[in-house]
Amino acid sequence: MRAAPWYQPPMTTSWRLDAEAQIGRGVTARRFRLDNGLGLITAVDHRAPIVALQTWYRVGSRHERPGATGMAHLFEHLMFGSTDSLPPGEFDRLVERTGGESNAATWVDWTYYRLSLPARDLALGIRLESGRMQHLVLEPTPVEAERDVVTNERRERVEDDVDGWLDEQLMAHAFTEHPYRWPTIGWMEDIRGLSLPDIRAFYRTWYAPNNATLVCVGEFDEAAVLDLVASSYGAIAPAVLPEVPRIREPEQSRERVMRAPKPIATDRLLAGYKAPGQDDADWATLEIIATLLAGCPSARLYRRLVIEREAASSVDAQLTPFRDPSLLRLAVTASRGHTADEIVAEIDRELAAMAAEPPHHAEVEKAKAIAETDFWTSLVDVDGKAEAIGHYETALGDFRKVNAIAERLAAVTDDDVARCVRSYLRTERRTVVIAEPESGRRDDDQDDDD
Amino acid sequence: MTDRGPTVIVEPSPDTPLVWFDIAIRGGAALDPHGIEGLHRHAALLARRGAGGRDRSELDSTLDGLGASIDVAVSRDAVALSGLALARHLDAVIDLAVDVLAAPAFSPDEHARLLRETPQVLDEIRDDDSALATRWFDWLCCPGHAYGRTSLGTEASLDRIERGAAVACWRREVVADNLVIGLAGDIDETSAGRIVTRLTERLPATAARDVLREVTVAPPPGRRVILVDKPDRTQAQLRLGHLAARYGGPDTAELAVAEAVLGGMFSSRLMQEIRVKRGWSYGAGCALRRSRLPHWFEIWMAAAIDVAGPAVALTLELLADYAARGPTDDEVDFARSYLIGAMPFHVATARQRMQLAVRDAVFDLPVGFTARLPEALAALAAADVRAACRRQLRPDDVVTVAVTTAEQAGEALELAGAGPLAVVAHDQY
Repeated sequence: MRAAPWYQPPMTTSWRLDAEAQIGRGVTARRFRLDNGLGLITAVDHRAPIVALQTWYRVGSRHERPGATGMAHLFEHLMFGSTDSLPPGEFDRLVERTGGESNAATWVDWTYYRLSLPARDLALGIRLESGRMQHLVLEPTPVEAERDVVTNERRERVEDDVDGWLDEQLMAHAFTEHPYRWPTIGWMEDIRGLSLPDIRAFYRTWYAPNNATLVCVGEFDEAAVLDLVASSYGAIAPAVLPEVPRIREPEQSRERVMRAPKPIATDRLLAGYKAPGQDDADWATLEIIATLLAGCPSARLYRRLVIEREAASSVDAQLTPFRDPSLLRLAVTASRGHTADEIVAEIDRELAAMAAEPPHHAEVEKAKAIAETDFWTSLVDVDGKAEAIGHYETALGDFRKVNAIAERLAAVTDDDVARCVRSYLRTERRTVVIAEPESGRRDDDQDDDD
Repeated sequence: MTDRGPTVIVEPSPDTPLVWFDIAIRGGAALDPHGIEGLHRHAALLARRGAGGRDRSELDSTLDGLGASIDVAVSRDAVALSGLALARHLDAVIDLAVDVLAAPAFSPDEHARLLRETPQVLDEIRDDDSALATRWFDWLCCPGHAYGRTSLGTEASLDRIERGAAVACWRREVVADNLVIGLAGDIDETSAGRIVTRLTERLPATAARDVLREVTVAPPPGRRVILVDKPDRTQAQLRLGHLAARYGGPDTAELAVAEAVLGGMFSSRLMQEIRVKRGWSYGAGCALRRSRLPHWFEIWMAAAIDVAGPAVALTLELLADYAARGPTDDEVDFARSYLIGAMPFHVATARQRMQLAVRDAVFDLPVGFTARLPEALAALAAADVRAACRRQLRPDDVVTVAVTTAEQAGEALELAGAGPLAVVAHDQY
């Protein structure tokens, strides 16, 4: 690691090592904590001269309020702006000059900032990240410019993208109380209305060392990084983090269906069944069920809908990895001449068959083998390892759950699958959003729900 | 190389208990017969749908039971089977891959089913503005160029695909010396050698086959705009570009820098002018398509519909200035630093190294060509890059494709200085 001219090793470091676990083959991750609450997870991996430096903040769209949605995501853009010591654009120029890349992502439970850097430039990354945690400049002109960019991002990903629209509408209809009901990018009118004082207050509230974890994976000297991070972040005062209310979504007792016309060729539907949060013991079983339904070419719904009935051109299943209860989602595109209603009926038949005669052992083992391959695939490179560590540390409170979830997946039994199909995949726990070709347009969007 | 002729790349790595393999079959969609576009894709997918005495269902179930996959990808230059397996199951997965290569069933039922399925993929593309813009741009950038013909096919060309033609296509091209085989992951070189032997021993060693050697058409001169009309759009998905130089040709390093300065980084001119200064699009960038033959230089963005015309006009202005003047010395220094520094990220994992080497082999480039590009970049002078911009960029012959709503954006696009405008229905192609 290159010593930076501003870097002075601290006289004493106040790190506490409080957790350690192997992440993938031959890589050990260690979690340290600084007195001001900052977490640092290191994982030294000498296999390539690069590092992934990620800063995970425990703030996502769930921490927003109605009328000010999109705030967390807006920071994903603003955080690349100027700071007290960096003029506009300099952040990106400094990173790109090294050959590195920067990016960020926001979801319901977290926001993270990703730097991929040559190993020799890790010190630069730490300096940039600590700088923007403390000294981001939030002035009207750059904020308005990024607001325009975000509205265009929303147009591209939601207004003009039927899958983005389906996703947004599903969450809006499946949740009535929980903040998961609004989109991470925010409603368009909210994005336009976010005020500068609110934006500054959001930054002061959430961008603080006691609300963040640095994840550093790759080729570096751990002792030097501990010193460097301590000297860069040690003086930053922790924030008083607000109490986040635990909002419990009311039990869903009736199916909800919403449909609208779109300029598309055939019907598309997105269905969501209420599912537990990722830390729940049943989450792993539902992940196996998602694979059994549509996670591989021999999956039940894929075979039924795409191959046997030829009623759909694609089918996908996804269990969202959220902290609080969320959804097991089924996305289907109808084939020409088939309707979403037909497909919903076929889904019901398959789920009824699955509940009546649970998958046999070999089928469950198949899904577990796929889960094992997926687990290792997610840990192939330094970015993947850092993302896995950061997600589990931030969403579930402990990066070691990377391995715990893998162990849970491997331990799922045939009985678990049978029980969870009957418990969770019930019509009254389901919300369905349907996009129909405009040629069959009705006058307005229609809700068929309760 | 083995005595049966395939090009072989092995990248051992014990980082995970996984093995990846890519089997590239040289040829690809550019060799589809005229009027039968989609044939290579059809043949490859059909081969994957049952082989070695297993029907589609049995093959899928066996692979899934091993936690493995064998996927088909079709590019203009090659058909590829890409496999992934847990190392402890590799032998069993290779047995299946051998069957797909050497003993596909080409089931008549699956042939008919695939012909019914493929038009649905066309529907999905028409529903996706970005994919639709790319499909139209590919077709119209340089009419008559082999890369302009769709690898997926059209409704009309799919009607002409016969099972016998798919069988013949596969048998003609799946021969040992037409393959590039890459293996990466938890495997040693000795085991890899045995696997290559198994993959090829049931195949013919060699055969006469077609290979495209050059582009025989010239792009039409002048600017033109194609507005792909789709209702209710709030944006215009834009593609602008023209036929450009071959990746691996004498200007490759110069054009890598030119591409980075204009649209390959966040700090690039297009991103700064379109997104940062004006907020017109979430992203804006450019790339020279990497292929075996000369392919497109392409600029992309998704501008808000009310600024689609100004965005096209500004982009053309930027391109004309860039072609004439090229990048500054500082810009060349910056881009060179970026590109050289970025190379370790492209070769960090065994799988990445293998895939890069397979691609170079399919492009008929010398071994290690891409991995050694930093050496060529380091030796470049700014004047070389500027000269390459003058030689290779043609702002007066740019084709613009806009997927948007004609009623809102048509007039502004007509006045953008991008040439005569033609409006087409979005589901016309």
